[in-house]
Amino acid sequence: MAGCQHRWEMADVEFGFVAFERCFHCDGLRTFFSPEQAPFLGEEYREGRCFWRRVENAQSLRFSLRCARCGERHTLEELMGLLHCSGCDPACEIDRLRLQAEAAGEWVLVGFGFADKNGAIPIPQAKLEILADYFNQRRAASRPRLRLLSFEQIGELSRCHGDFLHDVGMLSLEPPPPRKSLLVAPAPEPGGRAASNADRENGHDTP
Amino acid sequence: MTLRDLIDRLKLKSLSTFDDRDVSGVVVSDMVSDVMAGAKSGNLWLTVQTHKSIVPAANLVDVAAVVVTSGKTVPQETVDLASKYKVAILSSELSTFELVGKLYSLGLGGT
Repeated sequence: MAGCQHRWEMADVEFGFVAFERCFHCDGLRTFFSPEQAPFLGEEYREGRCFWRRVENAQSLRFSLRCARCGERHTLEELMGLLHCSGCDPACEIDRLRLQAEAAGEWVLVGFGFADKNGAIPIPQAKLEILADYFNQRRAASRPRLRLLSFEQIGELSRCHGDFLHDVGMLSLEPPPPRKSLLVAPAPEPGGRAASNADRENGHDTP
Repeated sequence: MTLRDLIDRLKLKSLSTFDDRDVSGVVVSDMVSDVMAGAKSGNLWLTVQTHKSIVPAANLVDVAAVVVTSGKTVPQETVDLASKYKVAILSSELSTFELVGKLYSLGLGGT
């Protein structure tokens, strides 16, 4: 509604998993939200020339934002997650913007869309601003304001070592292995494809 | 009740640098997604998670402090990141269950 000073609240909350699949033929990565109760790690299937393998299930949620005053609603189903920039690459535009924001008393997270075979799908800037408004409205006035940037400004996605605000390894009956970047393609092992958390959590190395 | 009051009364250990502030309730979860959906500004977040991703999650929902229970060792990189953003990381030798009981007896409720 025009003129409404929106007061955003979370709505339509659904818990599930962000599934990460990697093709060991083209090394492509794709992600999607899965409402499965117990997703299977290591599932493999063929699709055209690609051989997709589930390499990670990260517990997460999806939700909409609704204005408590006027009822305006925005779905955020394209939001895969938020990433904290680790400052791994000084040449990355996100790192430059992060340093700039922090000098101005703000702090930065990066909004990621789900990825298809061709890469992550952008989230409209207007939605990122609404999401930032939602979190900022919940914050104490004395705390730094949150600024959300789009992942499109990351210089080299396949080298990004940022940390997703996801839960990884929570389904394992064993202590989870050290967390690794979900964006960086794992190095292939001699004579085979790359090992993954799926291999480790299922208790076997690469077949 | 402020963070400093709680630290004194419950003998919590301060790991990061932070500004004192009021505490307005308690949330217990080891899942970032739970906290993102359910925590409120000023809450105390009790967890056994120590990965550095708890810092941006705590900052995002503006909890007053993260309290790592059961005497878990918090990695230095988590503490350093928390200090950078002035997110309070505290630790307790008590289990989550025991600490919740003490917080409840001090008058703190849920979110």
